[in-house]
Amino acid sequence: MTHRTAALRFSERWAAFREGLTEYYAGPYRQTLARERRDEDDLFTLVVLGEALGVPDPAAYYSAELMPMLAEDFHAWHRRMGMPRSPLDQMSCC
Amino acid sequence: MLLMDERRRILFVGGKGGVGKTSLASAIALARSRRGARVLVVSTDPAHNLGHLWERDVEDEPVRLAENSSGGCVDGMEIDPERTIARHLAAVEQTMIRMLPERQHAQAREHLERARVAPGSHESAVLERIAEAAELIDGDYDLVIFDTAPSGHTLRLLALPGQLAGWTDTLLRNRDRSERFSAAMRGLTGRVEQGSSSEAELRRTLHLRRARFENLQRAITDAETCGFVVVFTAEALPVAETLEVVESLNGMHVDVAALIANRRSPNDAGDLLRARRDVEDRHLRAVHAALPEIPVIEVPLVAGELTGVEALGVLAELLQQEIVRPRTPQS
Repeated sequence: MTHRTAALRFSERWAAFREGLTEYYAGPYRQTLARERRDEDDLFTLVVLGEALGVPDPAAYYSAELMPMLAEDFHAWHRRMGMPRSPLDQMSCC
Repeated sequence: MLLMDERRRILFVGGKGGVGKTSLASAIALARSRRGARVLVVSTDPAHNLGHLWERDVEDEPVRLAENSSGGCVDGMEIDPERTIARHLAAVEQTMIRMLPERQHAQAREHLERARVAPGSHESAVLERIAEAAELIDGDYDLVIFDTAPSGHTLRLLALPGQLAGWTDTLLRNRDRSERFSAAMRGLTGRVEQGSSSEAELRRTLHLRRARFENLQRAITDAETCGFVVVFTAEALPVAETLEVVESLNGMHVDVAALIANRRSPNDAGDLLRARRDVEDRHLRAVHAALPEIPVIEVPLVAGELTGVEALGVLAELLQQEIVRPRTPQS
């Protein structure tokens, strides 16, 4: 084994070790933050979809504009909200 | 500041139903245009009268109603809320189709139907068009006059920009919080997470909306640029409503540019009309006493039908004269 190869192997292992440590310490915090962010996002979705879910929304004209941007996460969203099937007749994501 | 001052770029003409709002809004437009201004009259009243008054077909887009040699003109427009909503939802539908798989397209359309028929959509649509029209004062027109629906509707409409700005603020704060959590996560791990492009588009849309509401709110509360003209006839009910409307407008910080006492009975056309004039005088004294700082312009009762460009021209002339003449209440 040459000197350079050994040095390279060592720096790779060190990087992997550091990443493992970071994950060990930061992991739980990151999970909490991720959950908090998801809560904000879920609330947002609920507000925007209000009218479609039967909650009168006086700003429905403007909420409608924001709906397309929620489409991709819709399925995951309704599962998280405890609705096993899509609550909207029109969205057959599942 | 005089009603016809060039600094006034936006006027709302309001008042009880049937007092002559549309006629006077059009007359003001004509008077200003004869001094070289390009004026747009926008009817926000669902019971549109602009076309009937000018004896023309007036649509959801500006239509030329009058031109003159000084370079001024009057264009007219009757807002169609349903067409506005349809266009808005069609644009949203395009975005949806772009972001959804083919099999969900029909469903996306059904999804949007709810917004079309939701209560509040009509008002939002009218507000949207008012905001668009008000933005035209930077280029296409020197003055935009809104011929509004009878008082209550219009007052609620004027309060909307402020409320909707609050709505967009709430949603933007939600997005900010979400973004902060993302940033904190990035800070913790140094790893950049895949943000969705939807997020950026969402923020952009919300920011544009808020800017529009804020600009409109600022415009209508700017006393130099924008004013409200309350039209009334000097009778008990219109006067009572006028005083209430002025109070509401003061509360909303909308400048009341003038009051117009329309269809004033003449002194020299028989006993019946003179008797009516006396009653009107009494009401006008009460108005002057209640609102001493607001100029009251009196427009006489005109013989004949007030429709068509020529008749409106006569009204415009009358209005011109009255505005310039200092008016003291009859004692």
